[in-house]
Amino acid sequence: MSLDEHVIEVRDLSRKFGAFTAVDAVNFDVRRSEIFGYLGANGAGKSTTIRMLCGLLAPTTGHATVAGKDIARDPVGVKRSIGYMSQRFSLYLDLTVQENLQFFAGAYGIGGKKQRVAVDAALERAQLQDSRNVITKSLPGGVRQRLALASALIHKPVILFLDEPTAGVSPDSRRDFWRMIRGLAREGTTLFVTTHHLDEAEYCDRIGLMVDGKLVALGTPPELKREHVAGAMFALADTDHRALRAALAGDARVLQIQPFGRRVHLRVDAALGTPVDIQSMLTGRGVAFGEIQRIEPTLEDVFLELVGGAS
Amino acid sequence: MSGASKKRRRRGLVLIRFAAMAGKEVNHILRDPQVLLFALGMPVVLLLLFGYAVTFDIDHIPLVVVDQEQSASSRELIAAFEGGDLFEVVAVRETPEEVEPLLQRGVAKVGLIIPEGFDRELLRGDSPQAQLLLDGTDNNSAGMALGYANALSQAATKKAAERAGTPLELPLEARARTLYNPGLRSTVVLVPGLMVILLVMVAVMLTALTVAREYERGSMEQLFATPIGRLEVILGKLAPYFILGMVDVLLVVTVGVLLFDVPIAGELAVLTGVSALFMLAMLMQGLFISVATRNQMVASQLAVISTLLPSLLLSGFIFPVESMPSPLQVVASIFPARYFVHAVRVVMLKGGGFESIGVDCLAIGLFFLAMLAVSIKRFRRFVA
Ligand SMILES: Nc1ncnc2c1ncn2[C@@H]1O[C@H](COP(=O)(O)OP(=O)(O)O)[C@@H](O)[C@H]1O
Ligand SMILES: [Mg+2]
Repeated sequence: MSLDEHVIEVRDLSRKFGAFTAVDAVNFDVRRSEIFGYLGANGAGKSTTIRMLCGLLAPTTGHATVAGKDIARDPVGVKRSIGYMSQRFSLYLDLTVQENLQFFAGAYGIGGKKQRVAVDAALERAQLQDSRNVITKSLPGGVRQRLALASALIHKPVILFLDEPTAGVSPDSRRDFWRMIRGLAREGTTLFVTTHHLDEAEYCDRIGLMVDGKLVALGTPPELKREHVAGAMFALADTDHRALRAALAGDARVLQIQPFGRRVHLRVDAALGTPVDIQSMLTGRGVAFGEIQRIEPTLEDVFLELVGGAS
Repeated sequence: MSGASKKRRRRGLVLIRFAAMAGKEVNHILRDPQVLLFALGMPVVLLLLFGYAVTFDIDHIPLVVVDQEQSASSRELIAAFEGGDLFEVVAVRETPEEVEPLLQRGVAKVGLIIPEGFDRELLRGDSPQAQLLLDGTDNNSAGMALGYANALSQAATKKAAERAGTPLELPLEARARTLYNPGLRSTVVLVPGLMVILLVMVAVMLTALTVAREYERGSMEQLFATPIGRLEVILGKLAPYFILGMVDVLLVVTVGVLLFDVPIAGELAVLTGVSALFMLAMLMQGLFISVATRNQMVASQLAVISTLLPSLLLSGFIFPVESMPSPLQVVASIFPARYFVHAVRVVMLKGGGFESIGVDCLAIGLFFLAMLAVSIKRFRRFVA
């Protein structure tokens, strides 16, 4: 079994609801112990894809195998090998922490002594050993999320599907959560995570970007930036983006001018590689500017490039 | 792994998943006092309410007596009326004309008039005629008095006869009552019927919400992402409510026996058996509603309609099924309530065993299987 082995293979996978195509002929592979980020705005088709891969929704056309099992022909086999945290529901709020874990262990056919061991391990993973008899409803959102993750892992799945796991969770808890996810990947679990937080995508090994049911970009974050955000990027302090736009109008070397917080991002031809190049380009054009810094493009820039170009 | 051990392992997994489902449902029930209150409190409270409301009307009906014959047989007839708790002689008068004012003033509700010549007719072998005057404004008392007079007329002595102003055809059911309910207490007939209705409503309502709730909360999707099967979900959900339902049966029967002196002429085991079967059928009907609607609000409304109407109107509890128009009889035959009402009466009042309620058990069992089958069919593993 090599590390390059594909544990998820998706070929021309489509799903229609009536005449509407929610997922449109999507192709990608996910390697063992990789964190695969599935990005897209609301309604892009992320949950529909994840449901098909979890054996919860039959594809209209196309194929996919998950952990070596065909999702259409052997959905129960798929379910045995994967963990899933759905977008809406994670836990039964009227049950205690321990009762939730016991139930999901039982649902995966883990009983008796094995169940006690699995529940204890999950309590430890979620750092909830002292709260096993607490009603889940009374836990704060971040802790609940940790418990939901531990419960999705109770049967030691080889692949874990997380559908917007950090929606509605505080930034601190989000960081903790991603630390747990990276830890899982190091232990050998493959993670398929959907999100619409672009900053979270930076934690992923590889990313697929969904727009209106289509997979429009696929690759590692550096690959995507290189491929879709051409040229060199600089951040300019103390300048007005409208004045800058006016001053540089007609210059073919300028690719993009974008206000970004209190600074302006300027993307130019790759031939202009240093702040000094920019300084000389702007001098004498009657526009005020402060410090100039070379910056790396973010996934936000990739997203803007891909989605902005389409609209 | 050999085939046999593989099979054993599979059965083990099924049991674990079923137990997980049932255990979770028990936890939900224990956490929600409203469910317990509804399941255990409501039937008892309603039974008390209805049971007593009915009792008050039929005890100690005030009776005025006119005995113009003054013979042994006329005195026997009066003694028969006085015998039970049903009538209480409040006045004795000389002439029939004196009776009506008493009825009008409400001093008495029923007048019994035995004319001169009663003995003579009896000896001749004719039907002797005694007159019964009824206060028609009090339906219950009038009905009970008629029923009682009817019972007496059927007695071997043939010493009494009935005439209630207008000739009145007694419905079949009333006749059956008088036969098997010698005290003529309507609670004895009503309470078993009432038990059926209460059990139906509680049973269907209990399970009607449970699957719909999981769809609404979104937990059904999480559930379907596990290898748990449809049958395991459905039977796992059924089991705890079945136990709760049987506690209900026990409670309601106990209240019926202790407070309303409802006899259990038959064996308790037979009564428990047929109740268990009926409880399963009703819980399954609730589950089907839940699976089909996926919505708690719609499910609860459908549960009420689909239980109250058949159990109240089509079960034979109030209107005898035999006297319904035949299309309605066909509809009534689909719902298990009718079979259960019949079975409960046979067991509790007539002392019948399983052999006398075989058809009822079969019909209820078939309904259960049909509901199970359609529930599983509707209950797809895929979420959309
Ligand atoms: N069961 C369904 N029936 C009809 N339309 C659906 C269904 N599920 C999803 N959709 C539609 O498919 C599109 C993609 O939905 P979804 O996969 O949930 O998006 P995302 O998870 O990316 O927000 C949306 O327009 C949604 O309305
Ligand atoms: Mg979604």
